[in-house]
Amino acid sequence: MRRAPAAEVAVVDLRVCDRCGLCLPLCPPEAIHLVLTELVVDRTTCTGCRKCVAPCPVGALAMLPA
Amino acid sequence: MRDVDLLVVGAGPAGAVAAREAKCAAPELDVALLERDAAPGTPVRCAEGVGDAGLREFASPDGAPWVARKITRVILVAPDDTEVSVEGRDVGWVLDRTRFDACLADEARRAGAALLVESEAAGMSRGADERWHVRVRTPRAEETFRARIVIGADGVEAMVGRWAGLDARVPARDMESCAQYVLQGIAFDPEAIYLQFGRAVAPGGYAWLFPKGVGVANVGLGLVALKADGRNARQYLDAWIARRYPEGAKAGYTVGGVIVHTTIKATYTDGALVAGDAAHMINPLSGGGIVNAMKAGRLAGRTAAAALRARDPSARRLAAYHHAWMELLGEDHLKYYRIKRALEDLDDGFFNGLARTVNRIPQERRTLGRIFRRALVKHPQLIPVAARFFM
Repeated sequence: MRRAPAAEVAVVDLRVCDRCGLCLPLCPPEAIHLVLTELVVDRTTCTGCRKCVAPCPVGALAMLPA
Repeated sequence: MRDVDLLVVGAGPAGAVAAREAKCAAPELDVALLERDAAPGTPVRCAEGVGDAGLREFASPDGAPWVARKITRVILVAPDDTEVSVEGRDVGWVLDRTRFDACLADEARRAGAALLVESEAAGMSRGADERWHVRVRTPRAEETFRARIVIGADGVEAMVGRWAGLDARVPARDMESCAQYVLQGIAFDPEAIYLQFGRAVAPGGYAWLFPKGVGVANVGLGLVALKADGRNARQYLDAWIARRYPEGAKAGYTVGGVIVHTTIKATYTDGALVAGDAAHMINPLSGGGIVNAMKAGRLAGRTAAAALRARDPSARRLAAYHHAWMELLGEDHLKYYRIKRALEDLDDGFFNGLARTVNRIPQERRTLGRIFRRALVKHPQLIPVAARFFM
């Protein structure tokens, strides 16, 4: 299904991220991946819902304009 | 391309027990156990507490090198710092997960499973040969494993389930955001675990102290971000420690998610099973998951071995695993989850009052049954909570 691109997408600060994986199951479109122990947000599938931002125990996720 | 009968992804308690049980049930099978990190049990993302009876189903803690402390009482701390001590002879243990997980993985290896460390599953797809083709990365190379059955024991991130088409997503209200320090040089009862509740302490969760030794403890908390005031788990924890243990020296530090949900709707599909945190098999009331993971791993390993012997790794056959888990603990978790949701409606004043009620029961008569009955009489707000258990 096609959708309008999100105005904002989640970005991860890898200097702060502890690679705990907490945000992965919180993401409705499953846009967050752990690749070679690096957290990656897929900008093309992120819907900008922000559900991953507040739960991050160290505040490593934030929203930025897409 | 490397062919195996069973590939277990993740050498934590669920995966290590699954690999061992499969190999013990069917020694002719080729079983490989993948661990992403350099050694099982590292890094520790866990408060390391475990109940006595559940642990003993799998390993004897008496004199074991992977035990940090024996726990004989639980000290519940109300939001206003009123302490309630509940004694028990065999309450539980605080483990040394680095050693415990290594020990479980070693048992799997000695049973004949191949333990592969620094080996990360990077993706998997279903081949025309009706096997899972799993891409495995090591620091040196990438190799494809071809497996008749894959068991996903890869924790909260649950990538195996996702690749296999299972839904392991979590509503935000059922995710505990956790942070924990190893604190040194603090004073506490070394035979007790401490749990503190309260909106200002850990909204939607609790803060804990689990002793690792005299003066050394895992001190952490879990909270539901939706109920928090904008601070993250680490900030809440720093505030709690500054108030309760200002003298503590911070040695280790970890963060992670604890899924306080119910078991995912389907833990199986053609040629794949998921177990432990990856399948949301944590007790949604306590947040404890180690023994549950081992119980699920045992069921998964045995189910996979029997299916492989019968040459039938179909979803229809593997469904037996899901049904066995639901009967063993999954149905109970549905009840615990309803209680958790009902308790969310009660405020700090209620818990402060409850603590005083329990403290009026003499210590030697303080059984859970008596606490429960007295609490129901004195605090009728609890009746709908208790009723949820039987609904």
